[in-house]
Parts: sequence; C-alpha cells; structure tokens
Amino acid sequence: MDLSFYAQLLLNGIVIGVIYALVAMGLSLIFGVLEIVNFAHGEFYMLASMLAYFLTAHWSFDYWTTIVVVTAVGLAVGYVLFEGLLLALRGEAFERSILLTMGLSMVLQNGAVFLFTTTPRMIETPLSYQNVQLGEVRLPVARLYALILGVAAFAALYLILHHTRLGKAMRGVAQNRAAAMMVGIDTRVVSRLAVAIGIGLSGLAGAALAPIYSVHPLMGFAFVFKAFAIIIIGGLGNVSGAAIAAVMLGVIESFAGGLLPLAMTDAVAFIAMIAVLLLRPQGLFGRGVRV
Amino acid sequence: MSRRGLLLAVIAGLVALFAVPLLTDNDYVLALGISFAAMSVLAGGLNLVWGYTGLLSFAQVGFFGIGAYAAVLLVVDLGWSLWAAVAAGAALSVAVALLVGYSSLRLSRHAFAIVSLSFALLCAIVARDWPDLTRGSMGIPGLPPPTLTLPGLRWRIVDPADFYYLLMGFAVIAHGLIYVVVTSRLGRAMRAIKLNEPLAQSQGVNPLSYRLLALSLSAALSGVVGGLFVFYLTIIDPSIFDFYYTETMLISVVIGGPGSFWGVLASSAVMAALPDLLRFTTDLRMVLYGVALIAAMLVFPGGIGGWLYRRRLARWRRPQSQLQPQPPQPKAAP
Amino acid sequence: MTALLQVRNLTKRYFGLTAVDDVSFDVEAGAIVGLIGPNGSGKSTSIDCLSGFQPADGGRWSLAGVDLTALAPHRIARAGLTRSFQTVRAYDELTLLENLQVAAQENDEIGWLPSLLHGAKVRAAEAAAEARARDLLATVGLADYADAPAAILSYGQRKLLAIAASIMSRPRLVVLDEPVAGVNPTMVRRIEAVIRKLNEEGATLVIVEHNVDFIMSLCRRVIVLDQGAKIADGPPSLIRSDPRVLAAYLGKAGAEEAAHG
Repeated sequence: MDLSFYAQLLLNGIVIGVIYALVAMGLSLIFGVLEIVNFAHGEFYMLASMLAYFLTAHWSFDYWTTIVVVTAVGLAVGYVLFEGLLLALRGEAFERSILLTMGLSMVLQNGAVFLFTTTPRMIETPLSYQNVQLGEVRLPVARLYALILGVAAFAALYLILHHTRLGKAMRGVAQNRAAAMMVGIDTRVVSRLAVAIGIGLSGLAGAALAPIYSVHPLMGFAFVFKAFAIIIIGGLGNVSGAAIAAVMLGVIESFAGGLLPLAMTDAVAFIAMIAVLLLRPQGLFGRGVRV
Repeated sequence: MSRRGLLLAVIAGLVALFAVPLLTDNDYVLALGISFAAMSVLAGGLNLVWGYTGLLSFAQVGFFGIGAYAAVLLVVDLGWSLWAAVAAGAALSVAVALLVGYSSLRLSRHAFAIVSLSFALLCAIVARDWPDLTRGSMGIPGLPPPTLTLPGLRWRIVDPADFYYLLMGFAVIAHGLIYVVVTSRLGRAMRAIKLNEPLAQSQGVNPLSYRLLALSLSAALSGVVGGLFVFYLTIIDPSIFDFYYTETMLISVVIGGPGSFWGVLASSAVMAALPDLLRFTTDLRMVLYGVALIAAMLVFPGGIGGWLYRRRLARWRRPQSQLQPQPPQPKAAP
Repeated sequence: MTALLQVRNLTKRYFGLTAVDDVSFDVEAGAIVGLIGPNGSGKSTSIDCLSGFQPADGGRWSLAGVDLTALAPHRIARAGLTRSFQTVRAYDELTLLENLQVAAQENDEIGWLPSLLHGAKVRAAEAAAEARARDLLATVGLADYADAPAAILSYGQRKLLAIAASIMSRPRLVVLDEPVAGVNPTMVRRIEAVIRKLNEEGATLVIVEHNVDFIMSLCRRVIVLDQGAKIADGPPSLIRSDPRVLAAYLGKAGAEEAAHG
C-alpha cells in the first residue's frame, strides 16, 4: 500500500501526541505532588494559545520569542495559582479540588468567550507555509518545531526530577507526603514548583500549538478531558507514563481518523481509558511520579 | 419547624405552584417554571448521589440526554407513545448507570468521578458523531406534541401551560420519591456511608449497593425528565448533553447544601429565576457561577444546609443555664 | 465445647515486614479476652484482618462455625463480629440515636422496598431499635444527648458511643480497639464498668489495649503479641510474671532486672 500515507499519519499522530504529552505531563505532575485534579488545566493551555496569537498577530513577535514569553508567563501564572488558590486546599482535597478548579475553568473559559468571542483565529506568518520534506512525507515547520520543543521539555523535566534537589523532593512528596515532611522537605515550596512547572508546560503546549491549529476560547475544554484520560491510562501521577500514553493516543487517533470511516476519533481516548480502568486499573505503567 | 407546619407549608406551596398557569398567561413565567421543574429534578438526583451518599458524580447529564434521545427515537422512528418511550428511556439510563457504576466503583470514588465525567462527554461525542443513530449535530427538530389518553380524558400537551403541568407534576412525584428515600432507613444508611464509610462497613452497611441504588434512582429520574423536557423543547440535538446542565446542577447542590433536601430545592428555584434576574449575557453569568463555586469550596462547602446544621450544633453546645438537660429538639428537616 | 471464635495461622505481611506471624487462638463465648503487646506487635493489624479491613496473607478464622476468611467487612459484621476503631469513629452529623439506629438496621432482615413502604413490620422494627438504642445510651450515660448531633460529644463520650454502637446489633463477638486510650482516669473506670455490664448481659469481648493495668483488672484471659507472634496466652497472674512478656516490654536487660529486682 501507500507507505508514505501511513508515514504521514504516523508523523501527524506523533506531533499531536507530543502536544497532548506536554499538557498531560503537567496535569500528572500536579496530581502526583499535590493530589489535586486541576480541572482548569485546559484553560491555561487555551489562554497560552490566545496569548501566543496576540503576540504574533498584533505585536509581530517572532516564533521563538513567543514560545519563551508564553512559557515564562505560564510558569508565573502557575506560581500565582498555587499561592492564591490551591494552597487553601489541604488534606482530603480530591473532590473540593475538582470543584474548585472546575469553577476556575468556568471563570476563565466564559471570561475568554466574553472578551474574545468564539470566533476561531489562525496565526498567519511566513512560518505557516514552510514545510520540511522527509522523503515522501511532508512536515510543516511549525509541527517540526512543536515536536522538538516537546522532546526538549520532556528531557528538561527528566533532568529536573532526577538531578536537582527540588526535583527529587517532588518525587519524594509524590510517593509519600508524610515521610517527606518528616525528612524536612518543605511541601509548600515543592508543591509551588510542581504547579508552576505544570502550568508552564501547558503554556509551552499552547504556544507551540497556536501556529498549527486554529485558536479559540473553547479549545481547552475538549483537551482537558483527554488529558484526564491520558493520565489514567498512563498511571495516575506517572509523568513519563502520561507522556508515552499521550503519544500513543495521538498516533491511534491519527490512524483512526485516516483509516476508519466512522468519525469518532474523539471517543478513542475515553474508550481506552475505560478499558484500562477495567483491565489494569493502576494504569499501563503504574502509579507514582516516575520519569 | 414541626411536622404539621411542614406539611401545611408543602401543601400551600403545591397549591400555589399549580395555580400559576391559571393566574398568568405570560409564557415566559411558565418557561421559568418548566425549567425549574426539570433542573430541580436533576439537582435533586445529584443531591441524592453526592449530597447524601457522598459520591461525586458528573454523570447525571448523560442520563438526562440518554433518556431524551431514547424517548425521541422510539417515538419518531418506531411510533411508540411518549409514555412508553419515556419509561424505556429511563430503563436504559438505569442499565447504563449500573454498568458504569459497578465497573468503576469497584476501584474507588476518585476513579468513578473521572469516569462519570468522561461518560458524559462520551455521550455528547456519540450524539454528535453517530449520525446514523442520532442524526448528528443537526439533531431531530419538529417533535410532535404528546397526548395523554386515559379513560374519559384526552389531553393534548401542546401549550406551555400543558407542559408546565406535565413537568411540574413529574417534579412533584420525583421530589416526593427522593424525600421518602432520604427520610427512610435507606437514607440513613446513605448518610452513614458518606459520613464515615469504614464505620458503616463495620456495622454491616454495604457501600457499593447503596451507591448503586442512589445512582440508579437518580438515573431513572433524570432519564424521565429528559424524555419529557425534550418534547417541550420540540427539538433534540447533542446540546442536551451540554456541560452547562452539569454546572447548574452543581451550583444548585453546593449552594443549597449537599445533603439538604429543602436547601437544594430552594437553590434550584433561585437558579431557575437567575437568568432572568441577572440579565447579563450567558458568559458573564457562567463566570459568576464559577466564582460562586470557587468561593463555596474555599469558604462554605456546606452551603445553606451546612449553615443550618452549624446553628443546630451551636444550640446544643450552649452552656446549660439550669441543671435540667435540654429538652429533645424537634426532628430537624432532612 | 467448641470456641466461639477460632483463629488459625493468621499471617499478614507489609512490604517484606511480617506484621502478624502465624497467630492462632480461640475465644470462648461469654469471655473477656485481652490482647496486649508493645508497639508494632501486630495487635491492630490482627483486628483489621479479622474484621475484613485488611486482606490477610494467610490463615483462616471462623465465628460460631461460619468461615469469615476473606469476607468483605460488612459481611463479617452481619455474621456477628463487630469492632470499634482506634481513631474513634462516629457519624458526626447524625444524632446519637441515629448513630445507634444505623448500627442495628442492617441486621433485622428488612429489605429495601419494605423499608420504603414503611409498613407495620418496619415500624415495629424501628420502634424496637429505638427502644434498645435509648436503653444503651442510658447504660453508657449519654441519654441526655440522644437527639444531639454526635459532633458535640467529648472524646471520652465518643468512645462510650462507639462501644454502645458496637453491641447495638446484638453481635456474637465485639472487638474493642483501644477503648481507653487517651482518656482520663474517671472515664477509664466508667468505660470499664460499662464493659463489665455488657459482658454480664452476655456479650463476648476481645479488647486490644496498651493500658496493661486496665486489661489485667478486666480480663480473665490475656493474649500477648510481640513482633507479630503470639508469645503468651493465659490468666493475668501468669502473664504478669512471664519472662517472655517482660522481655517484650522491657527489653532483655530490663526483664532480668525485673525478675531479680
């Protein structure tokens, strides 16, 4: 058959999977360290995309500056989010955290709709039309950059979690909060960093995605449910599991959309999640913040 | 409030509610009433599952929509009467609820919360992406007005006033059923599971079976009200699964107080009137709801019901001025 | 006479550590048996296993001939084995009366539909349960608070409520997990009196405690655990001077000192 067709599907799937991974890793990290489910996670990704759009379209920032600025804003917003809202939740916070962050998502999403309307916007820069040719497969440059950024982010996260003191502290808190506190780890500092990194990753994903697909205030909403499905499939709190599951999902969705007549690609994530919950509840790769 | 006083108040309230269509022919007021009837049943179901039994579930809107689609498809494609179709829709909702509930509750409440969320979204996706079954995004417009045929009575339900009586009538039945359950020993067991599950287990209470019971009941009620409501709308499309319904239900229960029967009923009434009282655009209204949800989680997670409970607690904690013990307090409303 | 409770080879391991090590014992009907041992000896873990709250890694146990091994906690309770918890548990928002009513209701064989229809049989059962509940509240001295939310109780009063709740359903065997921990001496005596009264009325009790004096005065038989294994089983007088028991609590040197001191 047409090998290049399959190769194209695979490549597209990997790119979208990497973007899923950036969002899912952040969600997983926040859950692992704080035991909080961040329902508003998709909204930060959406806001990052909107910011990237405005920087590029209205102030003519170039691609890389936009990436840096938006990611930095993401880190800062994560810091503020933790100190302002999440710190107030403690102890048995699972249900309250879902509802609190759900309220936050309602505020952000509807606020964005009110301010910007639901009209989708496309970033149109010279970058939008450049392609890289790999044999018979064509890859738009924006997608190539997204792929590179995703892999770089994953590598950076790995280094942080395994080779810095704070990173190791994060893994410690994720595995056993009480023990970590007894050893003298300041859970507030560690949690704050986890949230900052988590939102920062969403910021990076939003900025990387903005040139690829259209940008609109409801884009975060669909994403967050898939991110939930991904972290359950990968194993709650398992950051690398989330990344791998995300890429797998991207590829499966791409093939399903390209080959199957039934256009229910969105359902793949949830059906997979339910299957995993029934057959292997700890996730494909098991629990724990492991990279 | 004494039992007698409560009974009189309820009767008076019902009389007033059913008199509304006789006192006004303002269709807008009737529309508010219909909306209140439907949404209050959804909120009541959520209250039963979450407020009483302690199981956070986002699945209600799924059962609402499944009941609606089932009823419509049976009437439009197979020519069933509305009443049989609605009953079948409710049965389908219950079957799905048991399936989803049993498979995910074996794991944990946390898993169930997330699965119920995805389930609701999956329903919306199926409705949108399976046109052969559901006509997809276009939906099915022009639903025929139902007719209720009893010996000696033939009632064509076509005006807003007719739908008002239909939905309000069902809402009364639904809330009555919920009330009977929560004031019975079943309700006591459900509250025990929510308040202290290990203690309840050590006393012979099976948390799984009560959770499935609450879920099934809520699914049945949501399914029926969905089937009835959609014929009032005269059109069905995937928007019946909108997250907006879930958000409204949640706010109703959180503000009214999870576990407070009357609190949730009252807040449902307020929420039904709110779009009219707050004439902002929908988006700003949702922002306000979001702020209310955040504030509730941070500051008053127990809602109005929680506030009433704390007052009752304070009454008992007041230092005894005499040596006599406090007289037994009248049974507090559930 | 066959024992009411028979435990054989109970074993529980946590991450490579053996918390309960091949423990076997019997409890006769009508007895009050104490279960003591230093911290980490496996007392509470044993209770958790027997009552179904932790899965055991080995062993079998039965109550009045009915095998309870690996049953879910609510089934074990319905079979007649109830327990109290170390972290004293109560339904804070329910009244004391309701707290006790919950404890009774799963054991009177009334199904869900009859409960909703609230017929004569249900009303009779509810009335009987309420009468028994008020009776028990009077026994533990909390009758004044029957209609108060359990949240207003003091720590010691909560322990009394928990004891009352544990026998509400007329169980065959009650296991009390540290019934006098953290409680002032007056309350200790009050709880001791309540336990004696319940035993006189026919309850069989197993009491896990750190307060060795309490156990020695209340129980006619004492089982001692150390590091998961049973090291002694007999009347208080024998246990008090058993060198293995002394060694477990005081360490080897301390035991020798106590023996010669």
